[in-house]
Amino acid sequence: MINSVAQRPSRPQGRPRYKGKAPYVFLSPYVVLTAVFFAVPFFNAIMLAFYETNGPRSRAFVGLANFVFLFRDSTFRRALLNTTVFALVSVFLQLPLSMALALLLNAGAARVKGFFRLVFFSPNLVGQVLVGILFSVLFTPRYGLVNRGFQLVLHWGLETRWLSDPRFIMPAIVLASLWLWVGFNMIYFLAALQTVDKTLQEAARIDGANPWQIFWHVTLPSMRHVVVFVVIMSVIGSYQLFELPLTLLSESYGFGANDAGLTLITYLNYRAFRAGDLGLGSAVGWVVAVIIFFISLIQIRLGRVAEED
Amino acid sequence: MRFANNFPYGRAPFWLLVIAVVSVIVRVATAHRPEARPDLVMVTHTEAQFDAYRKAIPRFEREHGVKVQLQFANWASLQARLQNAILADTEVPDLSEVLEGALGFFTRGPIEDFGLLDLTDRLHADGLDQRLVQSRLSVWSARGRVYALPHDVHPVMLAYRRDLVEALGIDVSKLDTWDKFVEVGRQVSRDLNGDGIVDRYMLDMRYDGNWTLQILMFQQGGQLFDQQGDVAFATEETAQLIRWYIEQVRGPHRIGYECGWGQPVVKAMTDGLVLFQWAPDWRSWVLANEAPDLAGKMALMPMPAWTPGGRRTSTWGGTGLMIMKQTRHPELAWQLAKYLYFDTADLGERFRATNILPALRDAWKLPEFDAPFPYYSNQRIGRMYADLAPETPPVYSSPVDEAARTGLDRAFNRSAAYYAQHGEAGLLDAIRANLAEAAEDVRRLAGREKILAKGKP
Amino acid sequence: MNILQMLLLALFVVYVGFRLLGRRRVASRFARWTLLTLGAVVVLAPFAWLLSAVFKDRSVLNEYIFLPPVGLWSEKTLNLNNFRELFKARPSLTGPVYFWEYVLNSTVYATCTTVFQIFFCSLGGYALAKYEFRGKKALTLFMLGSMMIPGVLLLAPLYKMVVDLGLVDSLAGLIIPGMVGTYGIFLFRQACLAVPNEMIDAARLDGCGEFGIYLRLVMPLVRPMAAAFCLVCFLGNWNAFFVPNVFLHSQDKLTLPVVLNLYLGEFRQDQGVFLAGTTLAMIPPAVLFFALQKEFISGLTSGAVKG
Repeated sequence: MINSVAQRPSRPQGRPRYKGKAPYVFLSPYVVLTAVFFAVPFFNAIMLAFYETNGPRSRAFVGLANFVFLFRDSTFRRALLNTTVFALVSVFLQLPLSMALALLLNAGAARVKGFFRLVFFSPNLVGQVLVGILFSVLFTPRYGLVNRGFQLVLHWGLETRWLSDPRFIMPAIVLASLWLWVGFNMIYFLAALQTVDKTLQEAARIDGANPWQIFWHVTLPSMRHVVVFVVIMSVIGSYQLFELPLTLLSESYGFGANDAGLTLITYLNYRAFRAGDLGLGSAVGWVVAVIIFFISLIQIRLGRVAEED
Repeated sequence: MRFANNFPYGRAPFWLLVIAVVSVIVRVATAHRPEARPDLVMVTHTEAQFDAYRKAIPRFEREHGVKVQLQFANWASLQARLQNAILADTEVPDLSEVLEGALGFFTRGPIEDFGLLDLTDRLHADGLDQRLVQSRLSVWSARGRVYALPHDVHPVMLAYRRDLVEALGIDVSKLDTWDKFVEVGRQVSRDLNGDGIVDRYMLDMRYDGNWTLQILMFQQGGQLFDQQGDVAFATEETAQLIRWYIEQVRGPHRIGYECGWGQPVVKAMTDGLVLFQWAPDWRSWVLANEAPDLAGKMALMPMPAWTPGGRRTSTWGGTGLMIMKQTRHPELAWQLAKYLYFDTADLGERFRATNILPALRDAWKLPEFDAPFPYYSNQRIGRMYADLAPETPPVYSSPVDEAARTGLDRAFNRSAAYYAQHGEAGLLDAIRANLAEAAEDVRRLAGREKILAKGKP
Repeated sequence: MNILQMLLLALFVVYVGFRLLGRRRVASRFARWTLLTLGAVVVLAPFAWLLSAVFKDRSVLNEYIFLPPVGLWSEKTLNLNNFRELFKARPSLTGPVYFWEYVLNSTVYATCTTVFQIFFCSLGGYALAKYEFRGKKALTLFMLGSMMIPGVLLLAPLYKMVVDLGLVDSLAGLIIPGMVGTYGIFLFRQACLAVPNEMIDAARLDGCGEFGIYLRLVMPLVRPMAAAFCLVCFLGNWNAFFVPNVFLHSQDKLTLPVVLNLYLGEFRQDQGVFLAGTTLAMIPPAVLFFALQKEFISGLTSGAVKG
């Protein structure tokens, strides 16, 4: 059991091969638990997608019928559209905001920076459900904080029915998600900004570049890794958006008027755990998994490309 | 604190560990024990019914020497939780009330999966199936068997401002068909003070169809599903109905206006903005409560028929009582259900409290049903509803009931949007196409249900 | 033009003034701090609203945005009615349930899962970091692959499995499947890599058992990461909704997010009640975060920045 020096193979670096049971023992809880609660459900998920079930009870084999159903169901297509729109919005609206905040905050003194960092991050502490519950009240027409706030500043929006007008449901979800996640992503960007080489920026400034050019051509490229990581994380998270629209639109189980707030996972939740078809739920899960898989592939590609630079 | 500081993982994990251990001990010590359960637990979701049963239950407890607990729960939270609990074999109440249209939710898949007690034979043995309004059994049946007891019938009449209608010289006894009603309605619905806005409408009608459309469809004999559970709303009659409805609520000579719920309805009736209002039995009581100032000025009349001599009522809503198969005391539960729903002693008083007509025909002989109702100009509304009750149309249930109603709404809204753009030209064809598309969507879902119903365990 | 708009206009005028006067650096610093402060106000406003709303009576909930001017305060403005209503017993199939039971359920779930995860993930992370063994590469690849699979895919079959095992509708059924996770293992692996091998070798030569090395040498060295992970794991489980909502059925077993979501529907007319519950539910995460801020931020970003 003791690592015997005499048996060490000659390698320039690296650990000697450990002969003993310790790593196996240490990893056994993980292996056992994963085998039971991950691997088995994973294979069941493959199988379950070809069945139709009545909750955890009866089931009937339907082959590819679940996927055909999804393909034809207009509600599912709407969910796919909504979720994709949300993912795009979070990349092109939410992340630039996070970046802007990080840039603004980067130049400050440490204590003040710490204070603002805490403030902007605080919404993320409380979780999607509580945020959804809070915002479902803040969006009350005429009396809600959001409506009144917009009215005070912009003289518009007092009567906006954020949660019942199909045109405003997705914007409402976006607003709530901005509050929730801008601070979260800002922290990543802040940390990345610390690692940017200041001399490069100084050199660019001396060369006469304006702040925007410095940012776009010097700062941003140095933060490449983190930006790619955050973008991918953001998109993958967006495709799994669930608790926020569910609590905002709790009366219609997350659907919203004209299905305006429906996302892939609220659709899954409805079909699998309310209407009771676990098989269809698995099929939707697979669609989401495939989408995320392709996005992860893109990340790996982008990551490699970035490293080659 | 030294121990905390020396804990290998650090202070935070240490304190979390302490909290974890303490909370587990407290949780185990205070865990709820299933033996503490009373003999029967029943859940209801309507305040009025909760009050009525609370008064009735003590007598049952004394007569049978048992303990019955009545709980009040919000229907939306109850529905999905109950079904999931049934399917997962976790704790469920013994009896639960259920809303119309929701029975299908609980009768999905093969019959062995149903969490509800089949009541058909018991009803037959007690002769109750002959003494109840036949059409109501359809609401609470699935695959030909009855799974819940009908609480009510809910025949629909129209409530109207008798004083205003008489002042306009309208004789409501002549309004016995919709054609005549619409004709009079067109004369009535107009701009009274020349400001371009219509100030008086004939009838409260939902802008997007919804329940108003469904009431009219059922009156015509239309259905969301047929007895076999097949989608049945994509018919020529329903298409014509939608066209008629769009005309009445969106057309240039419209007679319908959406009043909403609660205060806006009271205001509309008080101001005379709308002359006629939908009044199933339960709503006649709601209106009387919410607009007490109109006492004596209101009256009820049966719905106009679609054809001369045709059906003059429809139905809206309903409550039933299910008994869970998992109950430990099925016979006792059945006794309680019969007692609460069909013990005639209480039914008269309940009618007086809520205006709701029970499904048991024998009860209609009670004196309360012949009492004059001052709010509605001393009409004997109990008798009026009771006379209409045998004509109420059946409504067939299905596990995809929710989807069907949403589908019908969608078809209506698309057709109304078409009308807004293109007017009458091609409207009927558009309606037919929208209905067919909506029906196809629901058929796909219903088809899945059929596969599951045959399925193997 | 109300006060708010005038204030914004004044700030803008001051900024423009600085620039026109040629004091560009002052102008940009002014702009930066103004924007940040405005942003902070916007972000904190919902919290402020929440705090003022939970003490208001339902009849005056919507009269003023926050609180009325001091002269108009009445007993309706600041009272504990919402909390009283929240703490009332609710009926369930096995007796009345009180609000503190939901807090207790959430506490048990979040703390137990976190404690187990700290133990198992640190063990696994240390093994991956400091040992070479047959199958290590395959295991690592498997772990990386498993992280790409969204949890939602496994929820339906996992639910069925938990029902079949008889663990449904119990806190144990929530905790056991969640006792270990690959995210935690990789986090601890990262931290353990930084421990110098020489120290470990020395300890071995001293006759320290492998588990002893892990527990008494390595773990104290990675305490910052353990603290960060503590927070992340606790937060994730305290706020978890989807899985508890599916797995728990009986009223007395529910956790806070599930119950508050239910109350959202039940107390539609009396919003103060579930808002009060929401406020209470926010306290433990806030407290823990305050205590573990520094470790949390550094732990969160170490994975991303180092790539």
